Amino acid sequence: MTNDRGGVRCQATTQGGERCKNWAVEGSPYCHVHQAVAVEPPPEQASDEQLRRQLLSELDRLVTRLRALTPDYRPPTFSPQRLVELVEQSLEELPGEVQLGIVERLRQAIDQGWFEPETWKGMWYMLNYTLQYNAGLVKHRFTGDYEADPWGLDWEFLDLVRPILTFFYKAYWRVEATGLDHIPVEGPVLLAANHSGQIPWDAAMLATATLTEHQAQRLARVLYPAWVPKTPFLSVWLARMGQALATVENGSQLLEQGELVATFPEGDEGLSKTFRNRYRLARFDPGFVQMALSQEAPIIPVSIVGAEETYVTLGHVPMLSRMTNLPHLPITLTFPWLGLLGLLPLPSKWFIDFGEPIPTADFGPDEQTNLVLVAQLADRVRHAIQTLLDDRLVRRRSVLFG
Amino acid sequence: MTDGRVVLVTGVAGYWGSRVAAQLVGRPDLQVMGLDVEASVNGIKGLDFVQADVRNPLLADLFETAKVDAVCHLAFVEARRPDPVAYDANVKGTIHLLEACAEAGVRKVVLKSSMAVYGAHPDNPAFLTEDHPLRGNRRYGYVRDLIDVEKFCTGFAHRTPALRTTILRFSSIVGPQVDTAMTRFLREAWTPSLLGFDPMMQVIHEDDVIRALVHALDHDVPGVFNVAAEGVMPLNRLRSLAGKRGVAVAHPLAYWATRALGAAGLGLQRYAPVHLDYIRYPWIGDLRRMHEELGFHPRLDAEEALRDFAARHRGGPYPSEPVWLSRDEERLQGIIDVRRQAQAEQGGPSSVAEEGEDD
Repeated sequence: MTNDRGGVRCQATTQGGERCKNWAVEGSPYCHVHQAVAVEPPPEQASDEQLRRQLLSELDRLVTRLRALTPDYRPPTFSPQRLVELVEQSLEELPGEVQLGIVERLRQAIDQGWFEPETWKGMWYMLNYTLQYNAGLVKHRFTGDYEADPWGLDWEFLDLVRPILTFFYKAYWRVEATGLDHIPVEGPVLLAANHSGQIPWDAAMLATATLTEHQAQRLARVLYPAWVPKTPFLSVWLARMGQALATVENGSQLLEQGELVATFPEGDEGLSKTFRNRYRLARFDPGFVQMALSQEAPIIPVSIVGAEETYVTLGHVPMLSRMTNLPHLPITLTFPWLGLLGLLPLPSKWFIDFGEPIPTADFGPDEQTNLVLVAQLADRVRHAIQTLLDDRLVRRRSVLFG
Repeated sequence: MTDGRVVLVTGVAGYWGSRVAAQLVGRPDLQVMGLDVEASVNGIKGLDFVQADVRNPLLADLFETAKVDAVCHLAFVEARRPDPVAYDANVKGTIHLLEACAEAGVRKVVLKSSMAVYGAHPDNPAFLTEDHPLRGNRRYGYVRDLIDVEKFCTGFAHRTPALRTTILRFSSIVGPQVDTAMTRFLREAWTPSLLGFDPMMQVIHEDDVIRALVHALDHDVPGVFNVAAEGVMPLNRLRSLAGKRGVAVAHPLAYWATRALGAAGLGLQRYAPVHLDYIRYPWIGDLRRMHEELGFHPRLDAEEALRDFAARHRGGPYPSEPVWLSRDEERLQGIIDVRRQAQAEQGGPSSVAEEGEDD
C-alpha cells in the first residue's frame, strides 16, 4: 500500500464500513481523522458493554441517593405506556428538534438491544420522582418558603406555569416563531414588539418563544405597564416570572446585567386597539430606545401576528374601566355578552417574527439624552415592525389556520 | 483629658444615640460628646454629656468652645401622625443644628434617614437610586418630617459645601433589641399581608446601622446613600424567615379598615410597617453607591439579620430576658464607673493619671 511519496493508506474502517482512503500520518498506521482510533482501539462490542455497565451503575447510585432522601416514597408499578407519557411530559419544555433527537436516540437504543428492563425501571423511578417533587413545590410555595432574585424572578414558579404557557403556545395558538437566531446566545438585547389583543397574551407568548425555542432558552424579561403592580395576583405572578415595571431605569439595569429585555413601545394604546385598527401601530413611547442606547444593546424588531384576532374588539367603555381601576375595558364580540366565558381568547394561528437587529453601539451611551436621535431610532424600529407585520399579513391566508 | 477630634452625638439618651456613643467612647482617637434634652444617659463611661436641646440658640457657642469636628444627629422623635411637637423637634431641630454647625465651623454632619422617604408606589423602579424624588407617605408623621429634613438638607448642603453632610437612608431595621416599624410589624403573632400582593423587601440589622453611622463619621463621604443589607426578598419569605405566620387580607378591606379605625382613634398602623402601601408596592433602594462611594458593606445579609431577629423573638411578642438584662447590666456598670471616678476625683488630683491609663 505504498505510493510514490512513500506513504501508507489508513488502516481504519470508515463509518460506512469501507476502508479509509486517506493517507496515514507518518509514524502511525492511521490518517489524521482516525487518530482517536489509534490511541484507543477497543473493539466496538466491548465499548458498548462497558458503557452499559457504567450507565447502570450510575443509575443505581442515583436511585440509592434518592431513596435515602425520601425513604417513604414508592413508585407506582411499572408500565411501559405510562413511561413513554412521562418521557414526553418531561421533554415538553425543550425545543422541537432536541426532543426529536432524544426520542430517536432512545428508539435506536432499544433497537440495538442496548437497554435492559432494569434501566427502564430506573428511568421510571426518576421520572415519577420528578412528578412528585413538582407536586410538593405547590405546597411549599404557600408557606413562603421560596427564594427569588432581586427582581422577584423565581424559577420554581416559572416551572409551575410553564406547562400552561406551552399548552397555549403549542396547542392553542400553534405559534410559529421565525428569526430566533437573530437573538444572540448571551449579552444584552432589547426586543420591541407590537402589542395587541386586550389581554397581554402576546407578552406571555413572546416570552415562551424565547424560552422554549431559542437555542440558549433565554428568558425574556418583559416590561409591564404601571397598572400591573396595582392589580392583585397579577403583580406577584408577573414579578415571579421575571418581568419588571416598564421604566427606563429598570430596562437599562436589566440590560446592564446582560438580560434579554422585551418591550411593547405602544404600551396600553396598542393593547386596547379596536378591531378596525388591527395591525396598525399606535404611537411609540421612545423610552425603549433610551434603554438600549444607555447599554449599547441592539434592538430587535418583533412582529406578532394572530394576537389581534384573539378578541374582536368593537369599542371601549371608559366609565366602567375607571370604576374597575383597569386601564381599559373592551366590548368584544363575546365580552361581556357571554360573561367570563367571553374572556376566552379565540384560537387564532399566531406568527412571531424576529427581525434583523438594529445596532445602537455606534452612538454611545451619552446619546440617550439626544431626543432627536432617540425619536429617529424609535421611528426606524416602528417602521421595521410595521414591515414585518405587513409581510406576514400578505402571506397569511387564514386567521385560524395561517 | 484625651486628645483627638471631638465627635458630638445628639439624641444620646435615645436608642440610636446611646449605641453610637457607646461604640465611639472606647476609641482613643476620639473625644465623644453627647447631647440630649433628657439627662437619663450617664450610663456611658467616658461620655462628655451636655444636657441641652438641639434648638438651643447657644448651640453654636458650645460647638465652638468644644471644637466639635463632627456631629452625628440622631435626635428624632418618631411620631406616627403628623404632630406639631415632633415636627418642631425633628425639622426645626435639624435646621437649628445645621445652622449652628455651619456657624461654628463644624466639618461634618451625619444624619440618619429612612428609605421610607421614597414612598411605596406602583410606578417605583425596581431599584431606587438616591436621586429619585422623595414621594413618601406624608400622612405618617415621621416619614413626613424626614422628607422635610432631607429637602432642607439638600439645599443647605449646596449653600454650605464646607460642612460635609452625609445622609444615610436605611431600609427597614430589624434586630433583637431595636423597636422600629418593621420589628413592631413582625412582632405580632399574625402578620398581615395584602391578598395577591407580595412585594420585594429589604432589611438591615441594627448592628449594621450603628456600623454604617460610625463608618460615615470616620470617612469623608458627603452625599446621600441608601443603606441596606444584601439580599432582596419577597415579603412572604421575609415573614417566614422571621418565623411568623401570615394572614392575607383583601386590599380594599384592609385600606377601609385602617381608615375607619384610624378615624376612630384605634389605629391599625402597627399592623403595617409605616403604611399599607409599604407592604403592597416595592420600595427597594439601589445599593451601588453604598458599596462604591460610601465604601460600606453590611456585615449581615438580609437572611442573617432576620434569623437573628427571629432567634430572639420566638418566644412571643416580648424580647427574651437575657438581652435586656445584659444591656441593663452594661448600663449599671457604666453608672458605677462614673460614680467611682467622681469619688476618686474628689479624693485628689491623682485621678488624672488613672484616666490616662484608661485611655
